Amino acid sequence: MAATRDPEGPDNWERQVKKGWLELAILAILWNDKFYGLEILRRLEKDTDLVLAEGTIYLILARLKAEGLVDTKWVEAESGHPRKYYWLTAAGRRRAVAMARYASGFLSSINTLIQPLLEKEEK
Amino acid sequence: MQSEKLQRRIDAYLAELRRSLGELPESEVQEILREIRSHILDRAEASGELTEERLVAILKALGRPDEIAPMYQVDAVVAKARASLSPRVVMRGIQRWSMVSVWGFVLFVTGVVGYAVGFALILGGIGKIIAPHQVGAEVGPHAIFDIGINNDPSARDVLGWWLVPVGLAGGTALVVATTRVLRWTLRFARIRRPTERRAPA
Repeated sequence: MAATRDPEGPDNWERQVKKGWLELAILAILWNDKFYGLEILRRLEKDTDLVLAEGTIYLILARLKAEGLVDTKWVEAESGHPRKYYWLTAAGRRRAVAMARYASGFLSSINTLIQPLLEKEEK
Repeated sequence: MQSEKLQRRIDAYLAELRRSLGELPESEVQEILREIRSHILDRAEASGELTEERLVAILKALGRPDEIAPMYQVDAVVAKARASLSPRVVMRGIQRWSMVSVWGFVLFVTGVVGYAVGFALILGGIGKIIAPHQVGAEVGPHAIFDIGINNDPSARDVLGWWLVPVGLAGGTALVVATTRVLRWTLRFARIRRPTERRAPA
């Protein structure tokens, strides 16, 4: 059974880690404002290096919508084609806070754990 | 002329993505495709005139459809399993589910046992046809009910030739029943990823 090909394709640890953090990063970006997909993407690219394949963002956003964490609206833009704007719902805000708390605690404990590895690197 | 060719290229990309997303709900697929088209146009505008080279770069940055589409759909694997008769596909759906819930895991074990016994019965039936003297359903001091090649002289072949119909029919029935039960229970699978778990308030 373990031999069945994994539909997620060739995995590497980096992709797995990034996948997990992307969701929190997107919720954090939407904390204060409404944005459309490409704006969210630009912010992610500016502030993080989480994005591997850009198309992934739209699938995550679709899922956040399906989970009721964000709401959306198509807005006509001057450019001629409409853009889909995203903002957090009340459930999305609760999720964002919960995830942020978890991430913060998680990061500090991991940080303590990996300190020896980093020191070794410096020598 | 040029822009028509580029348009076709965008359409081809979206068509491929649609195929990869095929098992998501249709409305969701429509939304994603529309949005990605908007993304391509936005990116294109930002770079001034859209050239073929530029479009290729935009599509490359988006990622190959078969690479991005399956990444975020546990639900698609489950949806596929729900509609499938193949033990392999059904078990893959169950396996996905088993990673996010205890129920899924219990069913995964049920599936493994059900299919293993079912296929063993079928194999026993076939084996009896091929090698009637070696294969049987033995009951003896060391075996409660063992189907297979008998090395124990004190064991008794209780089914004899009956193993052929019993093995083939019984095994097939068990495999079909296992598939049906698993598919039925998959209706109750959490369709979304584990993140759907309620966040602590």
